[in-house]
Amino acid sequence: METPRALQILRDVTAILVVGLFMFPIFWWALTSIKPAYAIFDKDRVNFFDFAPTFINYGVTLLGMSRSEMAIDQGIGMGVGGGGAYDSRQSILESVIVSLGATAITMSVAVFAAYAISRMMFRGRGHYLNWVLGQRFMPPIAILVPLVTIYKTAGLRDTDNLAMGYLGLMMIYALMNLPIAVLLMKSFLDDVPKDVDEAAMIDGATRFQTFRKVVLPMVRGGIAASAVLVFIFSWTEFLLSLFLTTEIRTVPVKIQTFVTSTGNEWGFIAALGTAAIIPSFIFILLVQKNLVRGLTLGSLKE
Amino acid sequence: MTADSASPVGAAPERRPWLPHWLTSESPLPWLLPTAALMAVFGIYPLIYAITLSLYKRNAATRKMTFDPTHNWTKILADERVWNAIYNTFLYTGVALVFQLVLGMLIALLLDSDRKGYGVLRAMMTLPLVIPPAVTGMMFLLMLNGSFGVLSRGLIALGVFPPGFSILGTANTAMAGVLLAEIWQWTPFMVLIMLAGLRSLPKEPFEAAAIDGASAFQAFFRLTLPMMSKVIAIAVLIRGIDLFRAFDYVKVMTDSGPGTATETLTSYAGRIYFGNADFPYASTVALLTLVIVIVVSTLFMRIFRVRL
Repeated sequence: METPRALQILRDVTAILVVGLFMFPIFWWALTSIKPAYAIFDKDRVNFFDFAPTFINYGVTLLGMSRSEMAIDQGIGMGVGGGGAYDSRQSILESVIVSLGATAITMSVAVFAAYAISRMMFRGRGHYLNWVLGQRFMPPIAILVPLVTIYKTAGLRDTDNLAMGYLGLMMIYALMNLPIAVLLMKSFLDDVPKDVDEAAMIDGATRFQTFRKVVLPMVRGGIAASAVLVFIFSWTEFLLSLFLTTEIRTVPVKIQTFVTSTGNEWGFIAALGTAAIIPSFIFILLVQKNLVRGLTLGSLKE
Repeated sequence: MTADSASPVGAAPERRPWLPHWLTSESPLPWLLPTAALMAVFGIYPLIYAITLSLYKRNAATRKMTFDPTHNWTKILADERVWNAIYNTFLYTGVALVFQLVLGMLIALLLDSDRKGYGVLRAMMTLPLVIPPAVTGMMFLLMLNGSFGVLSRGLIALGVFPPGFSILGTANTAMAGVLLAEIWQWTPFMVLIMLAGLRSLPKEPFEAAAIDGASAFQAFFRLTLPMMSKVIAIAVLIRGIDLFRAFDYVKVMTDSGPGTATETLTSYAGRIYFGNADFPYASTVALLTLVIVIVVSTLFMRIFRVRL
């Protein structure tokens, strides 16, 4: 049955409008980041394009420029100093370290567990899976309160020892990401036929050799997709970082410090916010194919 | 140990005969140990600690803790703010789920087409998913600002609100403002899952229905919906668990306010923690959240016969 042409056009237009509506907040955010202050805080009208674009917000947050210096440079008389506190390069670096470290830890423990769950029959296999899944059901706040005390006793606080502070945050991110990593890797491993393992083992390889030399290369794509998702979830995490660390300020926490008692620095907030979402956008487009599988912890495949 | 009796008999050579079997890679133990250790140290131990903590009473003046197993749990029952937080959490979860589910299904039906350009539209729909929720909260905080926010100004221009009205600053509308950010960010999650579900449907029943003269509506309610019930149940389960521990948007956009208008269980626990430093009580409220999540999701999985 052919759809009438008019109806098809109506559908196309609706689809574009709906997606456009969902893109609007991102567009507005990016637009705000290149607006000078007078256009952001315009109380008389909504200012869409009637302003001279400026990169002052990026200069201050990403290059560490002082605001007054740049304001004078561009002939905008609105700068009132206070550049240092908005320099976010340190936070971006910290976020990258924590997210990469958490991804490495998560993936390196999850792959082994996923292999055993996918390949071996043992007593308590179902229980083990439930424990892993259970981590996903647990609201982080339930373990946060004691975790602060435990970290203090164990020397995992960033105020006592910066390196240990990083490790502490990475470990808790690893725990948080464990369900998605283990279940997703299990689902990718389940796609590899078991005959492959058995053939290798009949040829005299041990389990570990089979895993490393035969199975692992076959799920490289799955590992990459899982790692990307774990990285994104670590990059966007807010609650744990807010409670557990003070010296280490990941980007989502740092951005909140631009909310001040004298008013919110919307230009800087939008600039850092835009910069923070661009890497995620690139990553998400890389894993489109496995996104559904990842978001449903391997239970649905596209 | 009969653990790996499934592996082919005699196939695996004993490379290191001095190692006990359970330490070799033929046994599942070494494979599972790293994950188990991570869960035990950073998940289960803190959880047991939290349960212990909830059995102590903290004296605010002396900062001393005394063992009093019923103190916090009876305090919770009498605490009006807990009931308010439970109400808000269920309201938040329910409203967000309904909107995300219905919008997600409608948009998925709209975008489920092989025509040129629809792939790009589908990819664009996934973008909101990866924005840090704390940043999304800020986005909507800016757009909902009473004096220069683009959404507020639009709604005021349409006559929905009087000039200068602050959506997030008014108790009656603050929750709607927070929900707007939540629904915007996670409707794409539902769209994505519904699209995957729609694409996996068999073609034959629909062809048969068309021959029998069924309308598109009939086909949707009689065929599409029933065949997608499992997919929908999984999506609701995963989303529901996340919604129930909502924190980021509330913290960033209203900080549970005005008053306690948008206070959820998680944000209330956070407030007790930061505000009064009453760690045992904060733990108790957090544990209550966990108990409710487990009870509700177990019931859900039983009733709808799904599991992850």
